[in-house]
Amino acid sequence: MTSTSAGVRLEAIRKCYGSTVVLHEIDLAIEPGEFFVLLGPSGSGKTTTLRILAGLEEVSGGRMLMDGVDVTTREPGERDVAMVFQSYALYPHMTVAQNIGFPLKMVGMPTAEIERAVMDAATKVEIGHLLARTPGQLSGGQQQRVALARAIVRQPRLFLLDEPLSNLDAKLRLETRLGLHKLQRSLDTTTVYVTHDQEEAMTLADRIAVFMEGRIVQVGTPREIFSTPATMAVAGFIGTPPMNLVPGNWQGDSVTAGGAKLRVQQASSAPRPVMLGVRPGDIRIAPGGIPVTVERIEDLGDSAITSFRDAEGRLIKMKNERQPTVAEGESVTLGFAPEAAHLFDNTSGERLAVT
Amino acid sequence: MNTGPRSAFRYIVLYAVAGFGLAVWAFPVIWGLMTSFKTERDVLAYPPKFIFTPTLDNYREVIFGASSILPNLWSSIVVASGATLLTMLFAVPAAYALARLRYPAKQASGFYVLATQMLPPVGLIIPYYLVLQKIGGLDSYGGLIAIYLTFSLPFAIWLMVSYFEDVPFEMEEAALLDRAGRLRALWYVILPQVRGGIAVTTIFVFLNAWNEFLFAVVLGGNQVRTVTVAMFNFISVEQTQWAKLAAGAMLAMAPVIIIGIFAQRHIVKGLTVGAVKGGGRR
Repeated sequence: MTSTSAGVRLEAIRKCYGSTVVLHEIDLAIEPGEFFVLLGPSGSGKTTTLRILAGLEEVSGGRMLMDGVDVTTREPGERDVAMVFQSYALYPHMTVAQNIGFPLKMVGMPTAEIERAVMDAATKVEIGHLLARTPGQLSGGQQQRVALARAIVRQPRLFLLDEPLSNLDAKLRLETRLGLHKLQRSLDTTTVYVTHDQEEAMTLADRIAVFMEGRIVQVGTPREIFSTPATMAVAGFIGTPPMNLVPGNWQGDSVTAGGAKLRVQQASSAPRPVMLGVRPGDIRIAPGGIPVTVERIEDLGDSAITSFRDAEGRLIKMKNERQPTVAEGESVTLGFAPEAAHLFDNTSGERLAVT
Repeated sequence: MNTGPRSAFRYIVLYAVAGFGLAVWAFPVIWGLMTSFKTERDVLAYPPKFIFTPTLDNYREVIFGASSILPNLWSSIVVASGATLLTMLFAVPAAYALARLRYPAKQASGFYVLATQMLPPVGLIIPYYLVLQKIGGLDSYGGLIAIYLTFSLPFAIWLMVSYFEDVPFEMEEAALLDRAGRLRALWYVILPQVRGGIAVTTIFVFLNAWNEFLFAVVLGGNQVRTVTVAMFNFISVEQTQWAKLAAGAMLAMAPVIIIGIFAQRHIVKGLTVGAVKGGGRR
């Protein structure tokens, strides 16, 4: 429908509150039409970044470009962006129709056209029958749709969503997630979406930027971030359960960790201490591996998570499609395919490239 | 629902206490109402008469007679409405700024607003008198209204700030993103949500100005004599005309009571707004 969706660049964006630095030199390039997710734990700076994109927050340094035009100092209303707030921020004294039509009324669109556009937007999010109600008479899910309709009604160049699903119950969240993805695809509007829920990020995003402590630690497709996490922190944040991390010593093509010598794909010329990471899904019960005892088997119906404890008291988790044929308390050894190993620098936490 | 004897007893006690409180509170009003229909002779009768032949003479006198308070009611209407209008005109934007904008010394200015309420009014009379005398503002509507502003404005700002603070920031940000700009965001989104607060504040400011006596008697005069001052004139060294005073008081109360009845819903809602976060907002 629209070819006006914007490409966005953030260049060396800094944000401080007094002496507290919230964002350290953020660089980001978002392609037109992309569904881009800002993912990170709370307090990592992702919402601040979104608010900077919206123009609701002034930057302390750096600049923001939309389609190559510097918009750093532009007011929120001059950027042609629409936002769905976590609280939805609906106007409680207006009807649903008035809420959705408000941005059009503000640009002086004739009433008849507003009515048509409101109906159109409301139909897209399936709330056409609620137009005469006020937000107080709606359920949480319906309110969320009204907020969505208000954002899409004026066909913005950039669409910002701040944890829009966090106030919905689990079932509704799944349904809405699907609807949201479909809607974004049909509108083809550049979308920036903030969440701390990695599952949301993985399922919705074309690309993800992972935020940690005011820095972007990795940008990539969901697959890249899952399979080649840039740091130990990202590895520990993505995946349920998160990656197992065991300290070890890397020499040649093997790592000595947890009392076993384990083969890895990369080789190190000189011996060095590393952190060995293996996804729970890649762990196997295999001879010659790390000796452990089975602590607990959790059956999730379609999969099973088994917790083991090694000689030094560390917890190691394994995820299988079927329940393993071991009993709690039994002693086994754990291994993995050499290409499943992730190696991180012991001190900096950064991923180690093949040497 | 428990309707046993214990609960019935509770209700009796409750109503008794409430009834006693009401009687104490309402007695002066009822006494005033009775007095306004008595002759001066009946007023001074001892023991006080509860059964008497009512007369409308007092009302006739204070409305149409030589000591008619109609011009004074007019003065009061002008002064109270003028002061209220100006107060709200300045207080609403000021309170919005105090509640929303981040600027240096915000805390201090908020405290300053409140601090002006701490001065005893009597300490201000002489300075005010001298100032008004210098600028020729004695016995003028402008002068009295200006003086009323000095204490109604801080009060109104202070009251309105809490209402503005109750409106979530995000709602305003949403309006800004919807291209409303600050002024239209205020007009279309914020003000409708503080309607109740504006109503309550307007009523309080109006009532304060309407009932004000101290400044009106000192700073007013023959041109500007509010109804509270006019009633004071029924009391003189030789004689106090209690019945006329009561009739005047009843007339002066009428607008206040009418406003009170119409605004009751707003006032009760407005007073509880700070108690529960968002409780007064809908």
